[in-house]
Amino acid sequence: MKTTLFRPSFAAALLALPLLFASCKKDKDDPKPEDDNELITTVRYTLTPANGGSAVTVEWKDLDGDGGTAPTIGTLRLAPNTTYTGAVTFLDETKNPVENTTDEVREESDEHLLVFTPNPASLMTITRTDKDKNGLEVGLATRVQTGAAASGTLKIQLRHQPDGKDGSATPGSDDANVTFPVVLQ
Amino acid sequence: MLFRFVAVLLLAGLCLGFAQVGAAQNGCSLSLAGRVTDHESRQGLVGATVVLRPGEQATQTDADGNFHFHVCAGTYQMEVRFIGYATERTEVRVGAAVIRNFQLHPDAVTLRGATVRGERVQAPLAQASSTLTGQALQQTRGQALGEALQKLPGVTAIQTGPSIFKPMIHGLHSNRVAIMNNGVRQEGQQWGQEHGPEIDPFVASELTVVKGAASIRYGTDAVGGVVLVQPKALRDSAGVGADVNVVGMSNNGLGAVSAAVDGNLARLPALSWRLQGTLKQAGNTRTPDYRLDNTGFQERNFSAAVGWRKDNYGVEAFFSQFNSRLGILSAAIVGNRTDLEAAIARGRPTTDAAFSYQIDRPYQQLQHNLAKVTGFLKSANGGRFTATIANQQDFRDEYDVIRASSDAGRRNLPQLSYQNYTTTTDLVWDHPAAGQFRGSVGLSGTYQYNRYAGGTRQFIPFYTNWTGGAFVLERWQHKRLLLEAGLRLDRRDLSTRRLTRGYVTDSSSYYGVERNRFQFWTPSASVGAVYDANPHFTLRADAGLVQRAPAANERYSQGVHSGIYEEGYDISRPAGSPPLQPETAYNLGITTTLHDNPRLNGEVTVYQNFINGYIYQVIGEPITTIQGTFLPWRFQQTDAVFRGVDATLDYQLAANWLLNGKAALIRARNRTLNSYLIYVPADRFELSLRREWAGQSTARTGHYFALLRGTAVRRQTRVPSNEYDPQPAPDGYALLGAEIGATVRLGNTPVEVSLTGANLLNERYRDYLNRFRYFANDMGRNVILRLHIPLNFSSTASTN
Repeated sequence: MKTTLFRPSFAAALLALPLLFASCKKDKDDPKPEDDNELITTVRYTLTPANGGSAVTVEWKDLDGDGGTAPTIGTLRLAPNTTYTGAVTFLDETKNPVENTTDEVREESDEHLLVFTPNPASLMTITRTDKDKNGLEVGLATRVQTGAAASGTLKIQLRHQPDGKDGSATPGSDDANVTFPVVLQ
Repeated sequence: MLFRFVAVLLLAGLCLGFAQVGAAQNGCSLSLAGRVTDHESRQGLVGATVVLRPGEQATQTDADGNFHFHVCAGTYQMEVRFIGYATERTEVRVGAAVIRNFQLHPDAVTLRGATVRGERVQAPLAQASSTLTGQALQQTRGQALGEALQKLPGVTAIQTGPSIFKPMIHGLHSNRVAIMNNGVRQEGQQWGQEHGPEIDPFVASELTVVKGAASIRYGTDAVGGVVLVQPKALRDSAGVGADVNVVGMSNNGLGAVSAAVDGNLARLPALSWRLQGTLKQAGNTRTPDYRLDNTGFQERNFSAAVGWRKDNYGVEAFFSQFNSRLGILSAAIVGNRTDLEAAIARGRPTTDAAFSYQIDRPYQQLQHNLAKVTGFLKSANGGRFTATIANQQDFRDEYDVIRASSDAGRRNLPQLSYQNYTTTTDLVWDHPAAGQFRGSVGLSGTYQYNRYAGGTRQFIPFYTNWTGGAFVLERWQHKRLLLEAGLRLDRRDLSTRRLTRGYVTDSSSYYGVERNRFQFWTPSASVGAVYDANPHFTLRADAGLVQRAPAANERYSQGVHSGIYEEGYDISRPAGSPPLQPETAYNLGITTTLHDNPRLNGEVTVYQNFINGYIYQVIGEPITTIQGTFLPWRFQQTDAVFRGVDATLDYQLAANWLLNGKAALIRARNRTLNSYLIYVPADRFELSLRREWAGQSTARTGHYFALLRGTAVRRQTRVPSNEYDPQPAPDGYALLGAEIGATVRLGNTPVEVSLTGANLLNERYRDYLNRFRYFANDMGRNVILRLHIPLNFSSTASTN
């Protein structure tokens, strides 16, 4: 009686069991274009001349996320010895409608700091003009004083500092870190 | 009456455990031999009485605890008695020469049946293997699986902070180490270096590591070795028992309680059951100078088993659930290259955290479910047939630091969420002995699919994986020589579906799905020999060939994972070049074992493993992302060789004084680049001295022991050039540890109590294989209290 259970059909049935599981599951489904829920694709810096004139906008864009196609990087062209009012915008352009991450940064401004690093340092002076609830600077709004005609780069970092924001760049990590070529002419 | 009852139960237990009940009948000079040892100390017991019935033959064990009978073929009741220990009784069927070892328990511990070690899932005999069991395993309670296994020579771990330990055998890990959890190959996201095995080590009564390729029996992932996590066999004597473990640690405030209750019905002796559960909670770890923020972790696990066993058939169902939340040191998730360099330059986290059990982002949330049914059928001339079907679900969610006001922050969504479903089927037929041949034939099948949850990052694509394998493993024994040979053939069919994203010039995104399919036949072969030169000296040699088809992550991982940008080979391979090919390992191992000697015992293993097409990660050219510049870890293939020595030696200095030394050395080369491989364990040495006091077994306390241990790890100097590691290998270090323990009798319950001190000198150190070494020191002094309470509620069990 026992030996009847050794029949090959029994073995075959056991081996085929995964097939039963398989047929119930949707293993042919495709990944859907639901995105990374914390993506920033675009950093936009808009500079408006303090004494009138049209605004200058520059964008750093990587629409397909990390890796893949290289990002497109605009060049910031400003007039020398001029004062501008600057505003930084962070966007997720893979979403429809486009998601404006700037609002989240503003809402949690006590955990964020924007750091502006011109190179060479003489290129321009950037002053953060907004403050968080603790009186520490944020940097979404800035005043920019350009120097003499020259060219160089401007690095903009969005530091996410959920622990220990102290006004310095040290705590936390970069949520964005982009570098624009700059021409003053 | 009672005795017969117990004997029947034991027989039923042995049927599950002991596969090789041969049919050969060879006359009346068959050898029935074995060794009687103390279950805790594993020392031989001199002068124990061994009685055989029918016939009432009796003998006493010799100075090493060995005994020897010459008997006719047939079935015997064996009884082993020794003053101060519980009497062991078992039934043994003698068809050929039989070795039966006994491990006696101090007499307050009631009858548990003969210990038939290592035979429920047979380890390949010709290969080096080490086992943690009894007191040695007890002294790892509360640790993660990978951490506990580091006690075995040649086994290390890739570590991610204080909570995540990934076992590494002879320098290989992740996709190259198979973990058999209660007879089922653990499947989930085992590719990740910071993904610890989702297994509750409290389930195990025995942890065995097979070192070297063991692919014939365990599948092609066992290139480096196998970890066997084996629970205690289900209770085989009527009654209800329980086993409670309590662990507390001073450093991180870890508290763990694990309890198992098992039972066997007097009226239904075939039916046994067990329920087991573990709770564990730990807070922030302390280094000698500062605490590590957000390094707490917690576990909630349970398992249940029920079995029905008769002489000729049996079936067992098992379910386990593992739940864990693991905080990750936020300072270790640094993102881009500038942040990484700043963190390395700083050398320690910016914040000195307070002690807390709080777990914030970043953390991992894991769940692993295993449901298994296994059964066997046995007949005298049909051999033994075992079938196992198991279903596993693995859920791994990784929560990054995000803005709380974002959509994901408000809804507390994970940024990576993997889901893996695996069904495995295994059939093994242990054919009846034919002359001097014994062996097994087996079939195995795996169906697996892997997804990520909507709204989370694609890091590993969707994939479906079918594998099928067939093996044959034969053993031939003549006198003191055993030869073993095996063949295996596997088919792997991997289909991937990867989301691709791009954009056209007007900035509108588009999506595509890239489908790929990879099919490979991979053969494996092994030969081995075991030669017992004399009763105290055994030589083993084995050689193996294994081919392993690449896994989905090695082809198509892409993105930032735990602050590291990784990229699969097939993502970035040059246009026109072929996709990733299987790797082929040629493994050779020689082991010499000195055993059952009065003074010197030990084992030395020498091995060499050539892996052609070895798949590994290399830091590539920096890539630019909107979060800055990242150093990408890209998968590459090369030809590699691993060579090494593991040694462990015991020397009995005097009665009750035992000196133990261990050493593990590995040399790994990248043969294509003529350079070293990264993340290879540094040379490791350990020396310990143990003193025992046997004491009066009737006393209220007894079995005292004390142990002093020194561990030294050299600096890893054999590293590839600096561009492949963000920071050079850290300095070597030496740690001092100590343990003291005793058995305290509370009523009838022998409670084992021990106190362990780790890193007693509060040494500042960093281990080369700890991924946190870039950011912080390792754990400081830690004092661990362990209680083990075996309880027996049965009124019918006999104790003597």
